[in-house]
Amino acid sequence: MVKLYGSPTSTCTRLVALICKEKNIPYELIQVNLAKGEQKAASFTAIQPFGQVPYIDDDGFILYESRAIARYLIKKYPNQGTPLIPSDPKAQALFEQAASIEVFNFTNSVQPIVFEKVFKPRFGLQPNEERVGEALKTLQEKLDVYEVILSKQKYLAGDFLTLADLTHLPYGTAFYTNGFAEVFDSRPNLARWWKDISNRPAWLAVKDGA
Amino acid sequence: MVLKLYGFTTSICTLRVAVVLKEKNVSFEFIPVDILKSAHKAPEFTAYQPFGQVPYIDDDGLILYESRAICRYIAAKYASQGTPLLPSDPTAIALFEQAASIEASNYDPFVSGLAWELKFTKLFGGKTDEARVKSLQGQLSAKLDAYDVILGKQKYLAGNDITLADLFHLPYGAVILDIGLDKFSSRPNVARWWKDISSRASWKTVKGGIHQGNAIHYRVLQSAL
Repeated sequence: MVKLYGSPTSTCTRLVALICKEKNIPYELIQVNLAKGEQKAASFTAIQPFGQVPYIDDDGFILYESRAIARYLIKKYPNQGTPLIPSDPKAQALFEQAASIEVFNFTNSVQPIVFEKVFKPRFGLQPNEERVGEALKTLQEKLDVYEVILSKQKYLAGDFLTLADLTHLPYGTAFYTNGFAEVFDSRPNLARWWKDISNRPAWLAVKDGA
Repeated sequence: MVLKLYGFTTSICTLRVAVVLKEKNVSFEFIPVDILKSAHKAPEFTAYQPFGQVPYIDDDGLILYESRAICRYIAAKYASQGTPLLPSDPTAIALFEQAASIEASNYDPFVSGLAWELKFTKLFGGKTDEARVKSLQGQLSAKLDAYDVILGKQKYLAGNDITLADLFHLPYGAVILDIGLDKFSSRPNVARWWKDISSRASWKTVKGGIHQGNAIHYRVLQSAL
């Protein structure tokens, strides 16, 4: 069984749990106590040198970086669960384009907003509203482009769901459910796509805890 | 039909694609897009690259953007020529993906932020945010400490063979050094790795910019200027 070392509410841990659910891969969550800084302990950083969750131990094979873990699991189990990475060269190229769009044109702007407005207050810290404003302005411009892309095709890489859609879910949900729903809902094609992916049973199963 | 690369001569992401094209011995036609005149925001451009960013390629009618996606496409399509840059063994592939993600999440945000604050913002009339620079520097230092540990055990980021993941670091790494932030030299393993990848002929050929001498053709896109 895949051992998933992480935290139930961590965004990146939940991405891996989501993929396990989509692919019907059993996993065991082994909790890393982030509040106590367990991820910065020497015993942890010996395995994950950046001191970040999650990592997996798949029968002795250690892997970290949630998107890399997702790709590994998807490739390992091509014949079960939802297909999430195409094999046709052209479709694969468009998948890679979409996967890169998610990182650089979505998460890069959503992450600082979620950090300032959701994570910092949990530790009693004040959000940097200027930073939020800048990130939100950039994000709005990017989402206008998403709106155009998603008016022509059902998902980000084409007409089939891929990993590139699902990787939006953890940070996207934190953003959407913490006062920014209107940013998605005001764009009809984006809203349609968001509603589709965020209501998948696999996400509903893990979104409140891996 | 020869592959067409639409980009800006010294753009980070254009150079990222160019170094891979060179490494794989792939001929290409370079079509310069004058981003200083906002050619990348013109409708003729955004029809192909809707985010209004360089570069994109046209490979016999296949339009692709996002430099790392383009690089992956080239490395896969031309797997049997030039330097192998993508592994084929499942374990090696997984470790490559780990390394590619490290570059995207544990390197790019910090180096690109520093490059923006200390170099590029001024080109567009902006001011350096010193507090942000300090924060980014601290974070980058911590990340490179982890790189030094990894590279103390293996030659490259994904293992003992070079992959795309190493090459992805080149353009921003060069800019960071250029603006006087040497975070590599003080970390022996990072320094060794950086010297290795930045000495490659492919990088030396393109690092000063794409021009008539290092692309097969050089055609000015008149209509977009």
